[in-house]
Amino acid sequence: MIRIEHLSKTFLPPRKGFQISKRKQSDRIHAVKDVTLQALDGHITGLLGPNGAGKTTTLRMLAGLIAPDAGRIAVDGIDVARRPREALARMGVLSDARGLYPRLSARENIVYYGRLQGMSADAAHARAEALAQMFDMTALLERRTEGFSQGERMKTALARALVHDPANIILDEPTNGLDVLATRALRDSLRWLRTPAGGSKCIVFSTHIMQEVERLCDQVVVVANGRSVARGTVPELLAQTGQQDFEEAFVTLAFAGEAVSASSTLVGAAP
Amino acid sequence: MTAWRTMATVFRKELSDALRDRRTLLTVLVSAVLMGPLVLLAISGLVASLEANAELREVRVAGLDHAPSLKNFFERQTFVVKAAPPDYEARLRDATLTDAVVVVPADFEAALVRGDAPLVEIVSDSANQRSQASSGRVERLLAGFNRERGTLNLALRGVSVALLQPVQVEARDLASTQTRATQITGMLPFFVLMAVLTGALNAALDTTAGERERGSLEPLLMNPAARWALVLGKWGAVAAVAMLIAVLSCFSFLPGQWLLRSDTLAAMFQYGPREAGLFLVVLLPFAAAVSALLMAVAIRCKSFKEAQASTTVVMLGASLLPLINVFSLGGESPWYLWVPALAQNVLLTHVLKGEAFTWLQLAVPLGMCAVVTVAGVAFVARSLGHAAVR
Repeated sequence: MIRIEHLSKTFLPPRKGFQISKRKQSDRIHAVKDVTLQALDGHITGLLGPNGAGKTTTLRMLAGLIAPDAGRIAVDGIDVARRPREALARMGVLSDARGLYPRLSARENIVYYGRLQGMSADAAHARAEALAQMFDMTALLERRTEGFSQGERMKTALARALVHDPANIILDEPTNGLDVLATRALRDSLRWLRTPAGGSKCIVFSTHIMQEVERLCDQVVVVANGRSVARGTVPELLAQTGQQDFEEAFVTLAFAGEAVSASSTLVGAAP
Repeated sequence: MTAWRTMATVFRKELSDALRDRRTLLTVLVSAVLMGPLVLLAISGLVASLEANAELREVRVAGLDHAPSLKNFFERQTFVVKAAPPDYEARLRDATLTDAVVVVPADFEAALVRGDAPLVEIVSDSANQRSQASSGRVERLLAGFNRERGTLNLALRGVSVALLQPVQVEARDLASTQTRATQITGMLPFFVLMAVLTGALNAALDTTAGERERGSLEPLLMNPAARWALVLGKWGAVAAVAMLIAVLSCFSFLPGQWLLRSDTLAAMFQYGPREAGLFLVVLLPFAAAVSALLMAVAIRCKSFKEAQASTTVVMLGASLLPLINVFSLGGESPWYLWVPALAQNVLLTHVLKGEAFTWLQLAVPLGMCAVVTVAGVAFVARSLGHAAVR
């Protein structure tokens, strides 16, 4: 189970070339302002938001890669800020960056992470084979990942993230660059991982694709402009907005604030 | 999971990854490791041909018929006198003629008898190195002719020959054979240092900037492993590759010297297993430090290409600093030992000269290498988190 409470994070903008002058604190970018969510075991939680809403930053904080300015993250009751390595051992993260080592075979890529997770060599190899079976990539296992297709890369990266059989699975836009068949296969895998037979995993995944959410998620958290603005099942969100179409509902939820502020400026500008 | 296991896992993975990069390794082997022995061979070829020239005892004269007395003198010195080809000037310029040419004027004998001191030219081309060497020989030969004529003239007039030499001059060379050899082999430490640098470069870049470029650093840090352990594993692998190149390059001189064509050079260049061992004592810590330094520079770069540009500064520094020692006119200064790369060059030159160095002389560069290594690894470990997300 994953609990995120009132998370917030600001960044200094990146330096431009050989910029000598100190970057001003007032230039700080507020990437995440207030994100709160709770993802339950045996559920798939969708983090839905437009580009630049703060999804990736939130997931990076969840993985302990960057420290939040404020707020708390707990994975199975373990505070990520205080005990990041224990928390990471309970998480499998497929991040936005999912580079493989091109000179290693798919199996070696997976086993490497298994070993880093503290597994024995035998256990890591056995697990790599089991995952290969699950993702239908046994034929790829001994091939070097150089020249893999997008889908093959994704499968390998996913198997790598799940090698230690984590109770919590975090996926950042996992269907990016996948074709229909690969997307379907991924959805089937995630559905299975949610079931008691698959281990009742707690699955969090971020996306900006409505269909994914409609077809897969037990719970949706809408993130816009660095804030979690709505949460609930798809029917609940439809009911909340009074829309028939989920896309309309999402636009209403995600851009409501901006629409209001835009209309108020118009009103204000009118004589 | 213990940090040791993380380190061992990362080390094994990075090492096998680096060793699978066959094309790069091959390039390094050919360009860096073979470079030293090849240069040695080229030098030996040059020295051998100079020696062969000296052994030939030939002298080329233009206008031979005008100077029977000179011919007689040359022949008494057991030189073979040959007529110079008519186009000797052109041939000296394009280096097809490698002997200096003695040019005798038409009225040589008559002027000599009159005591008019006829002008004899020694023609060589300073751009034609071998003709330069033979020019020195011919000059000494002609000086001998002058001395003989002068002595005879004085003796005829009843003057003591000793008057010609109020001071006795004798040269005494303090250099041992090996010291003399370093005039020729002084560039070798430079080649070995470059081999170590190029050996470390690719692996250092691949494990840092390469990881960033591939997008594999972020997932790597999502493993529950201590960052310093990850970095130590990576550094160990890079250093191992650099050390492997160092070992290969040090031992490549052993077979390299069997191929030496010049006997004199072979006798002077004493490089046995002991010297190779001392080379390694100096080079292995250098390999470790250079690996850490290159990684520290590269971790700040987003791509392999950017890192290559940034590390050029390190490569340039490490290749220029030893030149201070190679071209130093005022001899060695104590501060040389405090500068990495320069210190290694100093010590390696000592080894080649067959001079002993004290433990203190070895300890200072070793300490500097340790400092660079620790600082580099610590910097990479500190920067890793930032690097992964940016």
